[in-house]
Amino acid sequence: MQAKDYTKTYEQLIRTRLKILFPLIFITVSSYFSFIGVIAFNPKFFGALIVGTKISIGILLGFFLILLIFLITFTYVYLANKKIEPLIKQIQKNV
Amino acid sequence: MYKLFFLLGILFPSLLIASTSEPKQNYMAIIMFVLFVGATLLITYWASKRTQTVSGFYTAGGNITGLQNGLAISGDFMSAASFLGISGLVYLSGFDGLIYSIGFLIGWPIILLLIAEPLRNLGKYSFADVVSFRLKQKPIRILAACGSLSTVTLYLIAQMVGAGKLIEILFGLPYYSAVTIVGALMISYVTFGGMLATTWVQIIKAVLLLFGATIIAFFVLHQFQFNIDQFFSAAVSSHDKGEAIMAPGGLISDPISAISLGLALMFGTAGLPHILMRFFTVPDAVEARKSVVYATGFIGYFYILTFIIGFGAIVLVSNNPEYLNDTGMLIGNNNMAAIHLSHAVGGDILLGFISAVAFATILAVVSGLTLAGASAISHDLYANVFLKGQSDEKKEMKISKIATISLGILAIFLGIIFEKQNVAFMVGLAFAIAATTNFPILFLSIYWKNLTTRGAVIGGSAGLILVILLVILGPVVWVDIFNNDKAIFHYKYPALFSMTVTFFGIWFFSLTDKSKASMAEKKLFKTQYFRSQTGIGIEKPSNH
Repeated sequence: MQAKDYTKTYEQLIRTRLKILFPLIFITVSSYFSFIGVIAFNPKFFGALIVGTKISIGILLGFFLILLIFLITFTYVYLANKKIEPLIKQIQKNV
Repeated sequence: MYKLFFLLGILFPSLLIASTSEPKQNYMAIIMFVLFVGATLLITYWASKRTQTVSGFYTAGGNITGLQNGLAISGDFMSAASFLGISGLVYLSGFDGLIYSIGFLIGWPIILLLIAEPLRNLGKYSFADVVSFRLKQKPIRILAACGSLSTVTLYLIAQMVGAGKLIEILFGLPYYSAVTIVGALMISYVTFGGMLATTWVQIIKAVLLLFGATIIAFFVLHQFQFNIDQFFSAAVSSHDKGEAIMAPGGLISDPISAISLGLALMFGTAGLPHILMRFFTVPDAVEARKSVVYATGFIGYFYILTFIIGFGAIVLVSNNPEYLNDTGMLIGNNNMAAIHLSHAVGGDILLGFISAVAFATILAVVSGLTLAGASAISHDLYANVFLKGQSDEKKEMKISKIATISLGILAIFLGIIFEKQNVAFMVGLAFAIAATTNFPILFLSIYWKNLTTRGAVIGGSAGLILVILLVILGPVVWVDIFNNDKAIFHYKYPALFSMTVTFFGIWFFSLTDKSKASMAEKKLFKTQYFRSQTGIGIEKPSNH
């Protein structure tokens, strides 16, 4: 009975982890390559200034991207501690 | 006790050389630098008593906390090259500096999401432990050591040459003595204090650098009453290129280069041995996770600061004759933008502080690199290949120290040999190798069941050879260094091509591998994956 319990928890652990990882990986890769893509294909777009200022769109988005990268790592650790860690603890107890 | 004497014995000659040098004295910098070296040598002395075992030497006993490790990791990343180099690039061309900053940062979510926890759960001292968990020790360790050592050596050359030149300008020391002092200090930190001393040197330096950069950025923005728009307007009107500095410039010219550079930066970080090694210094996967969040936060904040500093230098330094030579260029070179700016906003005191911190940065970074190199030699090659895992603690420890000293001396020599060369491409090449060889074998060994020894070795070495060839035949070496008219390989950044070859090679030669050994390797995947996901059976931290 116990062995079966921990197999189930393990499967749940793998599923939970994938559910958290996929969206975050997708956001990471797509946001970065969109940024690089604009630089490669349409650099003028990033050079455009935000109306009424001397700040360009590229610089503003660059700062947002730095912020986003931090938020991705923060989100993952928050979710991992909340949802993954209890499952791991449970398996560790049963092995 | 003799260690303390030895350490102080290194301090005084360096003082002597520093104080007898050149007319253009920078006393503030020398005093602060001496304070830093003194403090770090005391730490090394303290650490040396706690570094008696191999595990103590390579992992600081596994008792570093998430926050400490986060600071140490960010210290590894905030090298003098990225502080002075990126602010210099921003000073020169504005927006383009941001491309590098973001590229260096984007590797961190990748490490966190894909690598950090399995790495901690499966490994002991080096990432080769993870790859050889189910694959054949000998060939895998040799390949991983080749990847690690070439990455470390290239990085080391770039740091040493940069260090020599920087110290020459800042302290007026001759290039050779500068390189020798850096080498000698680094050898003593690592040999006596191992990972514990290296980590604390890195932490102290990271705090000092974050503090110093914050002060500069604060003073700069203060001059514009923290009005960002005014600040950028002033930069646009001060710079020769005008509004063009707010847009992408010539750094990336075509889509292939863009993707290729992007890949190298994104996955290279996850293959840098001195970074990966830091994950073995924390007790478990939970702390490993935490350390990445701290590191990403510190590094991201730091890059925002360097961006402000670069733009600040455009406004406050580029039109001030005090910082320009006869031809209207920055004294030293563009990489001195941050240094000159510190003087412009904070006078001799801030200049002295920043100079000392820049020196400290170099010391800390080369120490981490040397330690990673030493672990590849003693742990991977000596203990696990040469002695087939039969080595005892004492012997491995001795080899570690010999490896450290040899690498230190090698670094000094390479620093001297490459003095006149343009070494800027070497960090790029190190990232490309890390992304081409180290990252794919590490990543696939963790996640791909069908990976076999044959696949990893053929794919990994093919990629490694190709990436080095493509850099030599490319514009950076073939044209700029060998002075040929035209590059044989057209692109500056090879990662797209070499990574494709590695992944394809690994895939093809793993799937076609029908040997008995490969079947056993595939069978072991389940056990390995269970451990990588749950951390059951991991190397525990030691208690002393």
